[in-house]
Amino acid sequence: MLVRHGLRNRPWPRAWRAPDLRAAYDVVIVGAGVHGLATAYYLARNFGVTNVAVIDKGYIGGGGSGRNTAIVRSNYLTPEGVAFYDRSVKLYEQLAAELNFNVMFSQRGHLTLAHNDSSLRTMRWRAEVNKLQGVDSEVIGPDEIARLVPFMDVSEHTRYPILGALYHPPGGTIRHDAVNWGYARAADAMGVEIHQQTELLGIDVVDDEVVGVTTSRGHISTPVVVNCTAGWSSLISAMAGITLPISTHPLEAAVTEPVKPFLHTVVVSGTLHVYVSQTDRGELVFGASTDSVASYSMRGSLAFCEELAGHVLELMPSLSKLRVLRQWAGLCDMTPDFSPVMGVTPVQGFLVDVGWGTYGFKAGPVSGEAMAELIATGKTPEMIAPFDLARFPEGRLVGEKGAAAVGH
Amino acid sequence: MSGRLGPQPGEEIDRQAPLAFTWNGDEHRGFAGDTIASALTAAGVSVFSRSFKYHRPRGLLAATFHDPGCTVQVGDEPNVRGAHRQLAEGMVVQPQNAWPSLHRDVKAANQLAGRFLGAGFYYKTFIKPQRLWPAYQRVLSRFAAGGRVTDQPAEDRFDQRYAHVDVCVAGGGPAGMAAAIAAAGAGARVLLVEEEYRLGGHLRFGSETELSTLADLHRAVAGLENLEVVTNGVVAGRYDDNWLSVVERQRGPVFERLVKVRARTVVVAPGLIERPYVFDGNDEPGVLLSTAVRRLVKLWAVRPGERAVVLTANDEGDAAVDDLRRAGVDVVRVVDARSGGDVVQAEGGGRGEHRRVRRVTLGSGERIECDLFVTAVGWTAPTTLLNLAGDRPAFSAVANRFLPGGLAHPSVLATGGLAGDGSLDALIEHGQASGREAARRAGSGAATAIPALPVVAHPPLFRSRTHGMVDFSEDVSSKDIVAAAAEGYDSIELVKRFTTATMGPAQGKLETVNLVAVLAEANGKTIEETGTTVWRPPYAPITLGALAGRGFEPVRYSPMQPWHEAHGASPLVAGDWIRPDHYGDPDAEVRNVRSNVGIIDVTPLGKLDLRGPDVAQLLNLLYVNLWSKLAIGGVRYGVMCAEDGVVLDDGVTGRLGPEHYVMTTTSSGAGTVWEWILNWLQTEHPEWRVHVTPVTTAFASMNLAGPASRELLARLVADVDLAPESFKYMQVRQGTVAGVAGCFMWRIGFTGELSYELHVPAAYGLHVWEACLEAGANLGIRAFGVEAQRIMRLEKGHFIVGQDTDGLTQAFAVGLGSLVKLEKQDFAGRPELVWQQERGDYQRLVGLQPVDPRCVPAEGCQIIERVDGYTQIVGRITSSRMSPTLDRSICLGFVAPHLSHPDAVVRVRLPDGTDVSARVMEQHAHFDPDGARLRG
Amino acid sequence: MLLVPCPWCGPRGSAEFRFVGDASSRPDASAPKPDEWRAYLYAQANEADWTTETWYHRAGCRRYFKVERHRVSNEVRSAP
Repeated sequence: MLVRHGLRNRPWPRAWRAPDLRAAYDVVIVGAGVHGLATAYYLARNFGVTNVAVIDKGYIGGGGSGRNTAIVRSNYLTPEGVAFYDRSVKLYEQLAAELNFNVMFSQRGHLTLAHNDSSLRTMRWRAEVNKLQGVDSEVIGPDEIARLVPFMDVSEHTRYPILGALYHPPGGTIRHDAVNWGYARAADAMGVEIHQQTELLGIDVVDDEVVGVTTSRGHISTPVVVNCTAGWSSLISAMAGITLPISTHPLEAAVTEPVKPFLHTVVVSGTLHVYVSQTDRGELVFGASTDSVASYSMRGSLAFCEELAGHVLELMPSLSKLRVLRQWAGLCDMTPDFSPVMGVTPVQGFLVDVGWGTYGFKAGPVSGEAMAELIATGKTPEMIAPFDLARFPEGRLVGEKGAAAVGH
Repeated sequence: MSGRLGPQPGEEIDRQAPLAFTWNGDEHRGFAGDTIASALTAAGVSVFSRSFKYHRPRGLLAATFHDPGCTVQVGDEPNVRGAHRQLAEGMVVQPQNAWPSLHRDVKAANQLAGRFLGAGFYYKTFIKPQRLWPAYQRVLSRFAAGGRVTDQPAEDRFDQRYAHVDVCVAGGGPAGMAAAIAAAGAGARVLLVEEEYRLGGHLRFGSETELSTLADLHRAVAGLENLEVVTNGVVAGRYDDNWLSVVERQRGPVFERLVKVRARTVVVAPGLIERPYVFDGNDEPGVLLSTAVRRLVKLWAVRPGERAVVLTANDEGDAAVDDLRRAGVDVVRVVDARSGGDVVQAEGGGRGEHRRVRRVTLGSGERIECDLFVTAVGWTAPTTLLNLAGDRPAFSAVANRFLPGGLAHPSVLATGGLAGDGSLDALIEHGQASGREAARRAGSGAATAIPALPVVAHPPLFRSRTHGMVDFSEDVSSKDIVAAAAEGYDSIELVKRFTTATMGPAQGKLETVNLVAVLAEANGKTIEETGTTVWRPPYAPITLGALAGRGFEPVRYSPMQPWHEAHGASPLVAGDWIRPDHYGDPDAEVRNVRSNVGIIDVTPLGKLDLRGPDVAQLLNLLYVNLWSKLAIGGVRYGVMCAEDGVVLDDGVTGRLGPEHYVMTTTSSGAGTVWEWILNWLQTEHPEWRVHVTPVTTAFASMNLAGPASRELLARLVADVDLAPESFKYMQVRQGTVAGVAGCFMWRIGFTGELSYELHVPAAYGLHVWEACLEAGANLGIRAFGVEAQRIMRLEKGHFIVGQDTDGLTQAFAVGLGSLVKLEKQDFAGRPELVWQQERGDYQRLVGLQPVDPRCVPAEGCQIIERVDGYTQIVGRITSSRMSPTLDRSICLGFVAPHLSHPDAVVRVRLPDGTDVSARVMEQHAHFDPDGARLRG
Repeated sequence: MLLVPCPWCGPRGSAEFRFVGDASSRPDASAPKPDEWRAYLYAQANEADWTTETWYHRAGCRRYFKVERHRVSNEVRSAP
């Protein structure tokens, strides 16, 4: 493919159209990030539903989908969580071939370090639940950690000695933009319309039913509106009269200058609130826990860089001369039980796929697949039943507190 | 070709201080004041690196910090900006991105494949077979640019400091210096930060007049005590309320320092960055910017070439022509873009490190031989700090650059070339006005407007008729950008991400505006319509070392720590505390406690002193049980829940006087419970009269446990009646222990033995500890650690909050049925507990014993059940040990309600994949369930 | 770093504080309806606007107090 275009000096075909906004669609998906685009893709592919508009006030993948640190894994704590994220991993494994777009899923292995016995106990819990679901995870000791990450200080004399880790070989990194673009191209090719720079201004609800939406480019009649946003989910749900159990917090990330490859695994430390991986371009990508102060600011803070640097050097002390090149932030919608809110709401036709906290990107494919099924069939798939909005007034919270990477 | 010139006015090299260094294995010499690049250029080196993707040989372009062609490895330090870093004696400098060598770079084969390897090529290939992606990836990543990190920690020092100033001036060119001088003159505390090693900006390589003005400015700066100057430093970020990050580089013994500044006002004066021209061959070694050439000649007395062509569109380009001629360079043609002149191609010759431009083709088609091609086509405004202060820069179609949009926070001002154009005097005057105004606003003076600088017309010169490099560090050409836009990546953010333009080590400074211009052209739009990318901090790269600073990580030790260390304690990290886990044999420690007497350091236990008439009301609100009738001298166990009914903490609380109680909490909960209490008292019940004082570290705490503990205590205490009928189980007394007054003695029993917990004023902790050991020597006393205590509490079935409970465990699940007093009107979490009890469908915490007494399942093992051919998880092991007392394994764990009755047999999945059986016990306690040993 | 206007200590860097959350009032806990109690526990207004919220001056006077903050610009002002 590459060779054919290169030899004939032909330009590549357009990845997606920029159509005019029509007056009516069967489904309007708000948010052209991985969740919205995957939902549109699976609606078209699995159910032949193509009269769909995906609208976004910015550009494709401009929100959390373009700002995350692109870690994919399924080593969660609860059986329902593991099954859910494992389905996503399986979909990611096939995605490049299916979309004919290299999403660069690198299953290089994922390490969650334990620095005290409470943490080690939680790693054992996760490993056992994972194995029972057929997911490859195991607890390993400092020697094996040192073999996987030669730069790691596994000695006993550090401030937070590493006692062990949860090692999850199928976990790894992916090129987040590629996933967004891959899904967008494929959905567009099947007839889905993607409308960038189109802001949702209001949702029309009559007798507890959705009848349409108003956007910055005009009004659309539709019976189904799906909220696939992150950072704006409360504001959008309020347009339909729905209150969510969500508090929005910035999540920061940073990247260093490139250096020659030396880190071949994703490393996470819950105690030190840091995760780090190295991209193919040689840069180290860092993340940590969400800012404790709720806000819609995506500006980034100095304190984040300072704490992060301190913790990274705790783990790998020889990196002190590596320089941070760029920091940014995205918005995370935090729920009380570190699990998403998916499915129906008391307003007929208003569906949500929100509350994705710090774990949304890895769930893009499975969420899209499940939401598409809900939209097309009207029935909530088993896979996402535990994540319903009603669990909060009914007191049925999901127990993922121990596993959402860092900060919880 | 190149070489050293005679002395230049204002030159910054010290010809009396020669320095020796190596480059790529060869020995070279330079002078103090040289940069690595200037010394090498003087030595005739043109090629410093190979580009990222195509491995094209690269030389100097800008001769400043953000020069993309001169990033080198210096010793163990990767990614050194060789065009900025000053030379030092003995430096070992290596190229970074060449294999096997700078000369014969095998990866340069990529150049031929260039047409296939346009930006984003990797998305379109290596797709199948999927399983080979890891192999492709390993190869691709070897192409990654960038230096090497070693696995040895650096010996260099990194540090941090703070500065609280009235005015921070970012940029030490003429306007910045003038602003700093004026602000300090108005009485403000000023910090002036300049990226280069010296103040002065473009004056340093300017005319005689400019040098003279610079000397005046230097004198004024030196005369002001309230003006601190940081050179070789950068204001890297501006955060909320003018919190600034300033990087201070290589100052004295500190390799890099992060200065954290709180400034009342900020003056942004970074000047302008010269922009490269986009044309075919614009990245050939020997193609330089006019400012680069002037710097080489004037600052370091380096001849940049022999035979030059100059494309100029402004005064600075014209000045470069003069400087070159005065340096003896043959300027064979001056192409004036103001009258329509243009250059469309630069051709290079020679291979590898000998690569150099050898001729250029003009717009007219004429070809001219040269070994140096200089461009002066315009400027980029580094607006980052303004953007971070809320500004949106506006593009001027007159000046053809971005200018401040006027929306920055009023505490952030802009001056100098960033703000407009004008003569040197005009810029200095504007700087002075800005400085005075900044000082005024810092003193909360009302903001007054400063007359704006005019904006002078500049021809729009972004791309010639041919395609060339836009992002030099990422090897993204204008052709790539046009192709990306055609494919649909046509907004500025999408094209940036797809091509990676502006995402390299130059951080956008040289490439952003050209990216915008080329994209605008491709879309048939204006630059204003196209917008720019979002500028993100840090403006200049900062090392992890400086960001981390000295790495303070405090730990807490009890006063008895010296004794623990001297007696072989194995340390346990427990939050902030380091505690003794054991002293070599935890099982022996357990046996000794149950037979004789043991002593354990429990200082980290949370302790809160509560006084006032309303303490009992507070306790009733916080705990699930009843507290109104606790007698003086009495102690009660309590459990606290959060408002969702989840177990928050537990501990005993004792009543010491009519209005005096002491609450204990878990050690990890000490801080949380204290804040929890303050929140209730301050927000819900400000009318309650209660004083709370945390006394966790005011008292050293130790527990004497075992049948001989009373006898031991009697040897140390005279003023408290220890007789069992006088000092009963679950009571507290105050008295003197080992001569120390003001100690509390609690008769409680986590281990299940007769025991006394002593709380001793901390300064005397070690004394009392040692006194106990001495007095108990013939009673068989022995220290025991956290591990032994964990074993014993498990033998007695005591749950640990956070281990046997988790974030969803509500009170009834842990078997606290009788403790929870729902008849109380109100306590934290009560509503959820009422509903929990009604539902009844929760997992229960039970005692478990594996059928095989030698099998000790790991904590975290799952309890499973096979239902209809599926394996369901129905619980888990939360605590598990081999009991030395019972000589068999014992556990606590959660099981589903239908499996929670005594004698139920459950299935435990071990980590190796095999299953074992375990029996549910009647109660949590495996040993002495009636507590006879406690109450004796 | 945000400056938080502590009513007792004056404006101090946000690192000295703990952000508690939206200022909310506790319903009557003697016999609430489940919806009401759980709305108190879990529901959030989460507006991109001025919000009255509680902060705790952890490394200072140790008082809980309210301020108003705009959740987008991070401007802070004292609560009335």
